[in-house]
Amino acid sequence: MTFQNLILTLHHYWAEQGCVIHQPYDLEMGAGTFHPATFLRSLGPEPWRAAYSQPCRRPTDGRYGENPNRMQHYYQYQVVLKPAPDNIQALYLESLTQLGINPKQHDIRFIQDDWESPTLGAWGLGWEVRLDGMEITQFTYFQEIGGIELNPITVEITYGTERIAMYLQQVNNVFDLAWNDTVTYGDIHHETEVQFSTYNFEAGDVAMLMATFQSFEGECKRLLANRDKRLTLPAYEFCIKSSHLFNLLDARGAMSVAERTGYIARVRALARQCAERYIEERAAMGHPLLNRGTGHDGVKTARIRSKAVGRRS
Amino acid sequence: MPKPQKSRAPAPPAKKGRLPSPATAAELLLEIGVEELPYQFIAPALAVLKDSAEQLFNDQRLAFQSTRTMGTPRRLTLVVEGLATQQTSMVKETMGPSKAVAFDQAGQPTRAATGFAAGQGVTIQELQVRRTPKGEYLFAVKQEEGRPAHVVLEALLPQLIAKLSFPKAMKWNSTGVRFARPVRWLVALYGGATLPIEAAGITAGNRTEGHRVLGSGKGIAVRDSESYLKGLERQGVIPDPQRRRHMIEEQIAILCKKTGFTLNVDGDLLDQAVYTTECPNAIIGSFKPAYLEVPQEILITSMKEHQGFFSLMHKETGKLVPHFIAVTNNRAKDMGLIREGNERVLAARLADAKFFFDEDRKVKLVDRVEKLTGIVFHQKAGTLYHKTLRIINLVTWLASKLGLNHDDQNACRQAAELSKTDLLSGIVGEFPTLQGIMGGYYAMHDGEPAKVSRAIRDQYLPRGMDERLPETMEGKILSLADRLDTIVAFFRAGITPRGSEDPYALRRHALSIVRIIIEGRLKLDLDEAIGTSINIAEKDVKSSPSMLDDPRRFIFERFRFYAGTLYIKRDDVMAAVCKTAYARTHLDLVDILERMKALESMTTRPEFDPLIVGFKRAHRLVEKEQWDRKPVDKARFEHPAESALYNAAEEERETMQSAMTRGEYGQALDALVRLKPAIDAFFAAVMVNAEDPAVRSNRLSLLQEVDDFFNSFADFSQIVVQGG
Repeated sequence: MTFQNLILTLHHYWAEQGCVIHQPYDLEMGAGTFHPATFLRSLGPEPWRAAYSQPCRRPTDGRYGENPNRMQHYYQYQVVLKPAPDNIQALYLESLTQLGINPKQHDIRFIQDDWESPTLGAWGLGWEVRLDGMEITQFTYFQEIGGIELNPITVEITYGTERIAMYLQQVNNVFDLAWNDTVTYGDIHHETEVQFSTYNFEAGDVAMLMATFQSFEGECKRLLANRDKRLTLPAYEFCIKSSHLFNLLDARGAMSVAERTGYIARVRALARQCAERYIEERAAMGHPLLNRGTGHDGVKTARIRSKAVGRRS
Repeated sequence: MPKPQKSRAPAPPAKKGRLPSPATAAELLLEIGVEELPYQFIAPALAVLKDSAEQLFNDQRLAFQSTRTMGTPRRLTLVVEGLATQQTSMVKETMGPSKAVAFDQAGQPTRAATGFAAGQGVTIQELQVRRTPKGEYLFAVKQEEGRPAHVVLEALLPQLIAKLSFPKAMKWNSTGVRFARPVRWLVALYGGATLPIEAAGITAGNRTEGHRVLGSGKGIAVRDSESYLKGLERQGVIPDPQRRRHMIEEQIAILCKKTGFTLNVDGDLLDQAVYTTECPNAIIGSFKPAYLEVPQEILITSMKEHQGFFSLMHKETGKLVPHFIAVTNNRAKDMGLIREGNERVLAARLADAKFFFDEDRKVKLVDRVEKLTGIVFHQKAGTLYHKTLRIINLVTWLASKLGLNHDDQNACRQAAELSKTDLLSGIVGEFPTLQGIMGGYYAMHDGEPAKVSRAIRDQYLPRGMDERLPETMEGKILSLADRLDTIVAFFRAGITPRGSEDPYALRRHALSIVRIIIEGRLKLDLDEAIGTSINIAEKDVKSSPSMLDDPRRFIFERFRFYAGTLYIKRDDVMAAVCKTAYARTHLDLVDILERMKALESMTTRPEFDPLIVGFKRAHRLVEKEQWDRKPVDKARFEHPAESALYNAAEEERETMQSAMTRGEYGQALDALVRLKPAIDAFFAAVMVNAEDPAVRSNRLSLLQEVDDFFNSFADFSQIVVQGG
């Protein structure tokens, strides 16, 4: 299975489960959780199902394209379902079958892994899913987002696309992955890894990055302070941007331990305020998605399919 | 889904020989079906389940024969055998108002009486008047009939489930109930019939779930524990952890026998395998022998911490072999795919570890020292660089105190300088438990002397009460210095253990100090060592104004704990020696323990108790009486028993002092024992409170000398004896 087919298969499968097939967000982010389709949509009472692939940036993980497994840019495949369906584990296992991984022939384990994002003020409990010893997915029942306790609970499934593809294609180096039949992952991303590792670790202008962090943080706050207009979504974008700048500063080794904690707290404060404002705004709008269930083809289909997959997980 | 219910009582006939009386008792089965629980939570949850079930049954007057639990990552199960079908009946008596208040002068019931009767649900006529020590009072006496067990259980079992709490819990559905992971099904059966209890938004039924992939996916209908166990086993689940443990041990033993390797036994890993599987199946895999060039601690730790694999040793050489055992949770026809997958993951892990190890060795430890300025030891206690400087100072002092030669003193200083640098290495970043061990390897690689690398390697030993000590004197000194500094620094910063909270493991550090001193037989004045450590830490760590606890008392407490656990049975012996020792300005733990041992062995001698009786008589007198103490005046002796005691004390004092200086505490105590006849004779013949005040004072002074003599060894007034 090629890398692109893996994503297409997941799109197809989760679309059948009633998920909105979202597109990647057009900003740099450390994880698919930052995407408004996860971070914001998991807040409040409105039901929500979405799936998308998200390019993720982790500047400190760059290895100049020399490490077969680690990159500063990679793809997560993200699924969020609110409320979390009772048979979610069975739904997930079925998605693996769709990818050509027959659970009966493998050792698939749900190993405790509690998730926490200090910058997003978010945490949840769940597992890392292991396929014959290899971690292929993060599976999390969110409990808090932006410091706000959730109800209903959103479940987040994050597939490590490269790892699964490497397993399926039996290759030991991510850059050898077949993206399609003629182009490899390395053709597309090796040079990106080299150049961005160099930028992240060596060439980034620390003073510029710090100043930009300040500007973005200021803009986010300014937008949130403006109570006359609804500007939460742009404000949240500046929160995402601040978070990425923090990651770049981190890769440049530009912060001491104490400063680092301070920066994290600053981003968290932005995320929390965005979350609070988003909840207020959705309430003021009367929670448009709240009673969409019965007439909504996707959600209805999902219910029927869920039954077909297995009564319980 | 609750099944259509059968009639519940009387219980259906049970299997022969399982229940004493099928009509009056039946089996209860409760299964909480969950998504995969964290494995460390399972055993404690099962223990709580059993305890609270027994407690609830007792509270609810439900007799039972026995309870047992079973559990896997996906189920917590309780089986109660011989649970009575009916609560035991009970007579309930409640005291009401006094007769005087309950009836008016005309003998009519007042509102106090009618109110009490109404509250108790009885008529006025049914109330009884009884005589009590306080006078005559009204009583309501009610016969409480036992309710049928199934009615009680329906209320009780949801409580039982709610009583399970976990270190970390979550919500997952609209009920807002918290559990370690989502509850997905419940089975509740009593005497074969379903109890439709509700918990976490689920109604209990009689269907359980098999193994995720080995099961049919359709669930299994069960009647009792027997059909439960059989049904689950058919669908790939072994619910009993003990059985899984035996299975795993047996599977591993077979693999070892086949290959001729020895298992690197690891209790944590075995627990992990037991509680992360429903159907354990051990397989053996391999990795490239080339990785054996990497220190085996790294390979073992990587296999254990990343993958949960057991490592294997060569039978003869005891060295690591390039194979591992993984305990899987599946019984696929072809385990080859699973084995290959695990091998590939491990290969990537080991490649990482080797990469880190190679990278780490490109930088010498000595070149990393400066970088320690960037790592905070604790906000209030400086950086690791500060700590390193403190440790260097402290080992210098300790090494000289303990009489090390010049070269060895240097080795201590060098080891101290490099001791924390491995915290900057890639391997320790990945595997913090390898701190020290890696430093040892890197120091060796850098060409540091063996004494230096060994001391660095052993600096975190002993890791616990039963773990081994640093091998070398330099290692012991480094470990002592590091721990002493940690305790002193945290105490100065006002961070001390409180109750069960000891986040920096200061108690373990103190215990390790004690063990190194005692088991290493180090002649060291702990007081002076603590004082030196405080002086060294003074400029780095500001003393907190709330510093009430004192490191000296803290370490001494651990010493008493240690001595009490391993050597000294009698608390009074411990108290007697410790009280005297602690009052001194010099703490030699080895010496104090020797005194305790000598005293304790003395207590078994027949003359010991009478000796203490005599001593205590003297001690009470000198404590109670007032007199002007002067040196004993032999001229004032009126009775030969006085001079006999005086002479005996003079003579034995010398023997004792010389024995004490030699550390011969048994001999020292013998000297005390030899005083016994003289003390007894004195009290038999002499009246201490003589009429002549000068004679009296002289006698008291004599007794005071005897008292001092005893107390120079220990505070014997703490000793508890019959008749004392």
